[in-house]
Amino acid sequence: MNRHLWIAGILWVVFTALALAGAALMNPFPTVGAEEAEFSDHAFRLMTYMGAPVFGFVMAALLYSVLRFRSGGPGEDGPPIRGVGAVPRVWLLTTTTLAVVVMIYPGLTGLAELRSDRTHDLEVDVTGFRWAWVVQYPEGFASQELVLPVDQRVKFNVTAPAGDVLHSFWVPAFRLKIDAVPGQITNLYITPNELGDGATDAAYRVQCAELCGLYHARMQMPVRVVTAEEYQAWVAEKAGK
Amino acid sequence: MAILVGLVLAVVGFVAGTGILGGIRTSMGLEYWSTDMSWSVGYPVALIGWLIGVGGWKYWAVEWFGGKAATPPKGVKRYFEWNMDHKVIGIQYGVTFVVLFLLSGLTAMLIRFELMNSGMQLFTEDQYNSAMSFHGIGMVAVAVAIMLGAFGNYIVPLQIGARDMAFPRVNALSYWLVPPVAIMLIIALLIGGWDTGWTAYPPLSVLTKSGQVLFNLAVITFGLVSILGGINFIATIIYERAPGMTWGRLPIFVWGAFAGSLIAFFFTQGFAAGLLMILLDRVVGTSFFHAAEGGSPILYEHVFWFYSHPAVYVMVLPAFGAVLEVLAHMSRKPLYAYRWVVGALLGIVAISGVVWAHHMFTSGMEDYLHAPFLVLTEMISIPTGIIFLSAIGTIWAGRLWMRTPMLFALAFIFNFTVGGLTGIYLADVPTDIHLHDTYFVVAHFHYTIMGGEIFALFAALYYWFPKMTGRQFNETLGKIHFWIMFIGFQLVFIPMFQVGVKGMNRRVADYPEAYEDFNRFISWSGFLLGISFIFFAANMVLSWVRGERAVANPWGASTLEWQVSSPPPEHNFEGQPVIQGGAYEYGVPNAPAHARMGTAAATENV
Ligand SMILES: [Cu+2]
Ligand SMILES: [Cu+2]
Repeated sequence: MNRHLWIAGILWVVFTALALAGAALMNPFPTVGAEEAEFSDHAFRLMTYMGAPVFGFVMAALLYSVLRFRSGGPGEDGPPIRGVGAVPRVWLLTTTTLAVVVMIYPGLTGLAELRSDRTHDLEVDVTGFRWAWVVQYPEGFASQELVLPVDQRVKFNVTAPAGDVLHSFWVPAFRLKIDAVPGQITNLYITPNELGDGATDAAYRVQCAELCGLYHARMQMPVRVVTAEEYQAWVAEKAGK
Repeated sequence: MAILVGLVLAVVGFVAGTGILGGIRTSMGLEYWSTDMSWSVGYPVALIGWLIGVGGWKYWAVEWFGGKAATPPKGVKRYFEWNMDHKVIGIQYGVTFVVLFLLSGLTAMLIRFELMNSGMQLFTEDQYNSAMSFHGIGMVAVAVAIMLGAFGNYIVPLQIGARDMAFPRVNALSYWLVPPVAIMLIIALLIGGWDTGWTAYPPLSVLTKSGQVLFNLAVITFGLVSILGGINFIATIIYERAPGMTWGRLPIFVWGAFAGSLIAFFFTQGFAAGLLMILLDRVVGTSFFHAAEGGSPILYEHVFWFYSHPAVYVMVLPAFGAVLEVLAHMSRKPLYAYRWVVGALLGIVAISGVVWAHHMFTSGMEDYLHAPFLVLTEMISIPTGIIFLSAIGTIWAGRLWMRTPMLFALAFIFNFTVGGLTGIYLADVPTDIHLHDTYFVVAHFHYTIMGGEIFALFAALYYWFPKMTGRQFNETLGKIHFWIMFIGFQLVFIPMFQVGVKGMNRRVADYPEAYEDFNRFISWSGFLLGISFIFFAANMVLSWVRGERAVANPWGASTLEWQVSSPPPEHNFEGQPVIQGGAYEYGVPNAPAHARMGTAAATENV
């Protein structure tokens, strides 16, 4: 029995190491276009690392049992281990600790951070309606392209007309989304920190992420993050005409 | 025959109901027909006609008027009309939902064909939305009802030593409400479909096409099925146990069915109420969800998820029970940490009611709700962890008999691990805000529902097939089914996590070209997954018709359903079974047999 535990334990370590290596090497993310995206990807990675030993444990126990504890029929019984006493208690303690850790970090701490900073350099109004987006800039013009200056914190006031349906404002490169609720204003704060262009990168698009009927899939708007000078020029051009 | 009568009476009822409404409308100067209103009035009348026709009158209601209920026929005929035997009902549920499963699976194939390339291939956007919505609700219905409907009905009374369910008539009633659900969803497709998925979020569901009304009527009916079934299981398990069947000796599948039924009973009203409010908004002109008239779309999301998150556990708790059942018998060991598992099942029932808003982190609901729902949601991983402990502890050092049901049960452990771990990313607000409504979510819930419950379903199906049909299934076909399904499943859903993180959102008829390679791979894998069910269907049909006769106890298992013939006699037991020990006493020295068949006069107390 002890030998089984040892070998399965080694398997656990091996699987965990493999899972950790995989997690360290992987880059499943779209373009990182904002501070909030770095933050979200960091949390994603962290949870992957935390999950690796759990995944490794289950795989080791499962694989080892399947390979070593076979029989050809119901002839012989296994040892009557009932699972009372220390093992379930230790298990409960461990899983509870893990759950509490994930709750606090990256969970609650991340939540607090997302909500903490309410300052902003720029404020735009975004309206979603079936099936398009429109952005209203403070200079008084509307645009069907979302153009933002790099390194400026932007506050989005998102809404939908009272007679419309739910939509959701989402830019994959920024990793944040918020629903556009008819007759209600929801907010999102984003700090783009990389230049990017929706013409060449699908992550730079406003995509409706709440089923809204016929052309839900097509409810997109290109996003462009530009330098401060380019932004000024663009605003001047738009406001001018 | 009875079905034909039912259909005719349903049509008569529908014409009568809509006719009376039409008369009233015409007299008020309105048009005779209003799709929304006419269906809302015609359908309940049609439903009554249907129930009368399929045997509700002949076998039940006639008694209310002093008549004498007919005796049901024997043989194959009894499956096609009203019957109160839990074994007949179990098979009726099983076959109906397997057919619905294959039908909804076929829609998935069409969806994967459409998504193979960027741009539109097979469907228009409108048709895509209908296909996606049908796939969604079809599979949700299967997932909610098949485990309890088929195996709960057939196996629970046998395992607890009962002669039938506590309320056989209610049981028949709840089954015969199922075909109208399927028929209504298909009619909804034929009159132009609907485009709100299975979630029916307003205001879209209030504003969209009339197919939505049929969807709502169908799903409210389905809610009734679920509630009636839930009450019946709760009552049966509390009151119908054989002498000596204490709570601590109950087979774990019975505990899973009990816990799942508690949830179905407590929470299903939420969904039904939400759908009813949508109907009222559409037909009567109330404004629960019309933002323009002061209604709140977010209100619906709360009501909806208040049911629909617990619904996940209506699907999964009986599945936990079935998997642990198969693992214990096929490893020939006592179920590991039995009492802890029971505690975990009941713990999940308790917590499941207070986690719903984790589906709403991006909905614009009040900020202060985020933290408590994050915490409560992640708490669910604690009792779920106990289930894993039990599964692993049970197979450890066992005598694993690698037959088809065992393969599915072991695959459940793998799939549910992936499903559970990826759930943490969605419970955690900072990552969920990106991943919500993407293919990451699609992959996650397919890992828990398909990889979890549906794999458990096949474990249960192969495990109890000999008992229910009296025939042995073909082991080779079973193993081919398993391996193609298991590999196909991984190849479909692992890449979906990735494409979701990359930025592909769900429920879309089309997507940017950047995601095309992933989708082509997923589609081909999907077809592979689809092929596995051809082997399944062939095995079921061939084995049922001309498989080898099954012996009473092909697995050498200890629980009560295996101590009677396959299939069991009409009233389940010749004598009165008496329970004298735990359900899984494998390898325990000098343990008494779980049950002995006493005489009909045994009167020990429960
Ligand atoms: Cu949309
Ligand atoms: Cu949920």
